[in-house]
Amino acid sequence: MTNMNEVASQPGFGTSPHASGVDLGQVAPKMFARDVNFHYNDFHALKNISMDVPEKKVTAIIGPSGCGKSTLLRIFNRIYAIYPGLRASGEIILDGENILDPKYSLNRLRSKVGMVFQKPVPFPMTIFENVAYGIRHHEKLSRADMENRVEQALRGAALWDEVKDKLKNSALGLSGGQQQRLCIARGIALKPEVLLLDEPTSALDPIATSRIEQLVEELKKDFTIVIVTHNMQQAARVSDMTAFMYMGELIEFDRTEKIFTKPDKKQTEDYITGRFG
Amino acid sequence: MSASLYTIRRIKNVVAMALSVFATAIGLLFLAWILWETLSQGIAGLKPQLFTKITAYREEGGLANAMVGSLILNIIGILIATPIGVAAGTWLAEYSSRSKLGPTIRFLNDILLSAPSIVLGLFVYTVIVLPSKWLTNGDVTFSGIAGGIALALIALPVIVRTTDEMLRLVPGTLREAALSLGVPQWKLTMQILVRAARSGIVTGVLLALARISGETAPLLFTAFGNNFMTFNPIDKMPSLPQVIYEYTKDPSPDINVLAWAGAFVLTMFVLALSLIARFVFSRSKVSHD
Repeated sequence: MTNMNEVASQPGFGTSPHASGVDLGQVAPKMFARDVNFHYNDFHALKNISMDVPEKKVTAIIGPSGCGKSTLLRIFNRIYAIYPGLRASGEIILDGENILDPKYSLNRLRSKVGMVFQKPVPFPMTIFENVAYGIRHHEKLSRADMENRVEQALRGAALWDEVKDKLKNSALGLSGGQQQRLCIARGIALKPEVLLLDEPTSALDPIATSRIEQLVEELKKDFTIVIVTHNMQQAARVSDMTAFMYMGELIEFDRTEKIFTKPDKKQTEDYITGRFG
Repeated sequence: MSASLYTIRRIKNVVAMALSVFATAIGLLFLAWILWETLSQGIAGLKPQLFTKITAYREEGGLANAMVGSLILNIIGILIATPIGVAAGTWLAEYSSRSKLGPTIRFLNDILLSAPSIVLGLFVYTVIVLPSKWLTNGDVTFSGIAGGIALALIALPVIVRTTDEMLRLVPGTLREAALSLGVPQWKLTMQILVRAARSGIVTGVLLALARISGETAPLLFTAFGNNFMTFNPIDKMPSLPQVIYEYTKDPSPDINVLAWAGAFVLTMFVLALSLIARFVFSRSKVSHD
């Protein structure tokens, strides 16, 4: 626990005590949850979750279906709030501010925290417009700047070479894997700081999956990534930190290597080794 | 699986198949019969003058004024019903989830959907035709506008319902994806959801148009009818279904033939609208998923 002090002494972090006390390998948390509880009407879906998301690393959240991993992810950009009857309490601190505070602007939050969903959901527009759409809402850019920005985003999502000659075509004509990379391009086009990936490859074939995984590896140079996955090998391959959740509780959170080799908790070990889940 | 079990299942399958083919055949038989009957009875009346001459000439005339009148009435009806219906349907699908008003309005809309059209005609007669009488010093004020409003009341619930249903078919993930970019709800609705559901909504409007173009009852006390050509919506206005209704009761066989010819034209018009609606909708399915 020696580098706890180093972490806590970093700028912008001193005011908020470290949440879960896990060794992040000298990386300051970009975002952290503290005592987060979540209710679907009367159902207590998340129980006192505290965890840190280190900056420019990939944090994976794993666990059996219904453990609350997607729910937790959906709190990080407050997308859950579009449905009635859902309540989150506790704090999620992003750059020193609590995003669960109703005064924290959703517009600002969503420009800082992007999200990619399980199924690719391109908008019914051209490929170009799919990427430009979100940018246009947040910034006024000249035509040339916009074209530049769209190209940059598509390159960032490793899609540019495949679509550069058909930017005016409908995005609905792309393959599933291409659509998902388009959704990633759409997300990173806003230059967010955190990127949330909710089982981004579960609807894709193995080849498309491995392309997305390579992409995640690339993206962590620029973004803080949180990925929810039900595929343990994927978590082991792409992530630096892994959180294991079970029945709405965060059972164990540590470096991925440790979680997959010598986890502290028996439940984690049972899940990793396939004894339940 | 034992052979006897397989045989029993095969027999059950054949019986079920035969029953459904029989049911379909009955439906199709009557449709073909109606088309054949209107064509064979009306063919003598299907002459160029049907489309060029007006009803004032009786046997020597045609139905031109009734067709033009129907067109104007339908356009008025659809122009009134479409914006209100699409807006109401959008509200139901996108905004009513947090309010108890939503299910209530859906229920009331369904009642309006099945309201007898003559009641809607009488309603418009009472609230528009009669009150506007004192504006015109006691002159009778049947008008194309009143007829169009009566038709709009019939088209409205159809459009509300289809818009609502089509928007609710748009996957929720599309909403989440747009909202997660920080796009506000109104932009999401106007620029993405309505676009995604566009062909379904257009189909609904076309079906509503097909529905109102065959209505007679709501026009009796509102548009009233007119034996001359008029383009003035505040004038009494003739319509195809109403002329068919009156010509069918006429003792003259030559007039009856015109009614049959009119019925054939109307049926073809409605059939064409339904086919266009199907075409629009089937094209949309290709572009989705």
